[in-house]
Amino acid sequence: MRFFDPHIHMSSRTTDDYRAMADAGIRAIIEPAFWLGQPRTQVGSFIDYFASLVGWERFRASQFGITHFCAIGLNSKEANNEGLAREVLEVLPRFAFKEGVVAIGEIGFDEITPAEERAYRAQIQLALENDMVIMVHSPHRDKKRGILRSIDIAKEMKVPMSKFIMDHNNEETIDDTLESGAWAAFSIYPHTKMGTDRMVDLVLKYGPERLIVDSSADWGVSDPLSVPRTARRMLERGVSAEAVELCTWKNALDAYAQSGQIDVAALERSPVIDQRALWEDNSVLRGQDPRVDELVPN
Amino acid sequence: MALADLVRSGWPDPGTRGRLGWVTASPACSLMIATLPLFDALLERRLAGAGRAWLQTALADIANGAAAERLASLISMASRHAPRGDLDPSAAERNDAQRLLPGWNPERWTTLEALRARLVLNHPDIDGASFSAVLEECFRYADGGELTALYRVLGHLPAGERFAWRAAEGCRTNMRTVFEATACDTPYPAQYFDDVAWHQLVIKAVFIEAPLWRVYGLDRRLSPELARMALDLADERRSAGRAVQPELWLCLGTHGGQRALDALDHEMSRADRRSRLAAALALGRAGADDRARALLGGESDPGVKATLESALAGRCDQSAFAIFETGSD
Repeated sequence: MRFFDPHIHMSSRTTDDYRAMADAGIRAIIEPAFWLGQPRTQVGSFIDYFASLVGWERFRASQFGITHFCAIGLNSKEANNEGLAREVLEVLPRFAFKEGVVAIGEIGFDEITPAEERAYRAQIQLALENDMVIMVHSPHRDKKRGILRSIDIAKEMKVPMSKFIMDHNNEETIDDTLESGAWAAFSIYPHTKMGTDRMVDLVLKYGPERLIVDSSADWGVSDPLSVPRTARRMLERGVSAEAVELCTWKNALDAYAQSGQIDVAALERSPVIDQRALWEDNSVLRGQDPRVDELVPN
Repeated sequence: MALADLVRSGWPDPGTRGRLGWVTASPACSLMIATLPLFDALLERRLAGAGRAWLQTALADIANGAAAERLASLISMASRHAPRGDLDPSAAERNDAQRLLPGWNPERWTTLEALRARLVLNHPDIDGASFSAVLEECFRYADGGELTALYRVLGHLPAGERFAWRAAEGCRTNMRTVFEATACDTPYPAQYFDDVAWHQLVIKAVFIEAPLWRVYGLDRRLSPELARMALDLADERRSAGRAVQPELWLCLGTHGGQRALDALDHEMSRADRRSRLAAALALGRAGADDRARALLGGESDPGVKATLESALAGRCDQSAFAIFETGSD
């Protein structure tokens, strides 16, 4: 099978992960802009981070036959440093319209503060003015209220909900998200967020329509293979192959291809790895034989 | 000396480093950009009606003094208006390129890169004080695809010395696509790089197995120092038990002395055919005709034999190394 992981922070991951992901059939990913585990102190750090998402990280992914897309935005945690947040919002248009940027994201609420709301609204406005898809993070604490607030604001601002992806859902939030018309994404994440078997239960109960599985893997304890692992578990438990494909490939593609930045036909073709584009000085390939023209096993 | 004093006294003035070239911009160059009409022709043949219309609007915007941020944004937006894929220039177009800007080979450009280059070349102050700062801002916010276009355009700009620091940055990249856009198929490095940057470019190309033969002007800027660096790298590779890249032997020319001839002897004694073909060409480049003739008699591989003969006949300039380009043999 082939998979699309529409939420993973590859900048924090190793080349072993890229290799394992490619071997497991992951063909494309979206890396939404987020925080680095500790707060940044100046706008230049954001500029270089955004530039790396559309530069080095995209190049790195390509070495493993994985197509790297990204979402650009100011995350909710750092929205609370308001002076800095304003500067970051000002540079967003420099990056939001670049090739391969499929959404504004991940934006939304963390502590549900007024500062977070201001940044959220400003970024929804940017997305609306430019007909962009929106990827929304939901909080760890007070999740349900955060999700409801995110959806209410989006509706008030007249966001077309077909372009709104609500992420990190669980059993308690899925009804509200689906009812709003948004896509409901689930991060399969060890110990928090959503587990594999719980995800399978949800697919069995709700059906695959508008459900999206992602890993949200980052610098914490997380699993970059959780999308293929969840797909396997779904099949083991009797979910149809068509439904599995919707949740782990097609739904996310349909949602984010609305950006006009995804060549779906190209992703459908078997990827070919050309590691000759690698090199040895600080690069991802160090001395081993290049895997040139190998098909990625699916 | 305290660090602060050291920084105050011993640090070069930013202007003298050429980091922001507007400090040292030469005002005395012509506004005429020789390759401009060819870009227009290339794009005219490749853009559909809507793309051409967008280009005309964008060019007018830039000519009327669009701010740096606007130019950068147009360069980004170009991806939505150019057909995907290679420029794929015809033989006539390649000839025109070479005639208008010796050393420019657009064979590996994409149509999108040509479109982005055309936008940059429309800046109204392209040989003046403001342009260098504008271009630097475009670099600062560029994605991978924009970087290759921006580095490719450097060779087309008047007063090219303004961009020497930036071009060396392009060679420091870890993205092979960006390195090759800076180093290959353009006259820029040979004309403007100082010796340190030039040597780094050449040796890095060998190291990462980029097509060194595509570095325009290589044969004219060979030197004893470059030959020494290449021979040191060859020793390093052999110590590590790894084959020497065939293109390394391009770096010697006539400058390697006895050390080079010994190294080439060693290479000719190897079983690997690519190594022997490269060493055969390098013998010709070194002018070691006696040695080449001596090898000719005992050579059993017809390909190596033909290459030795070719080298003896003088057909061993850098373009002869095209045969080693990945995928070409």
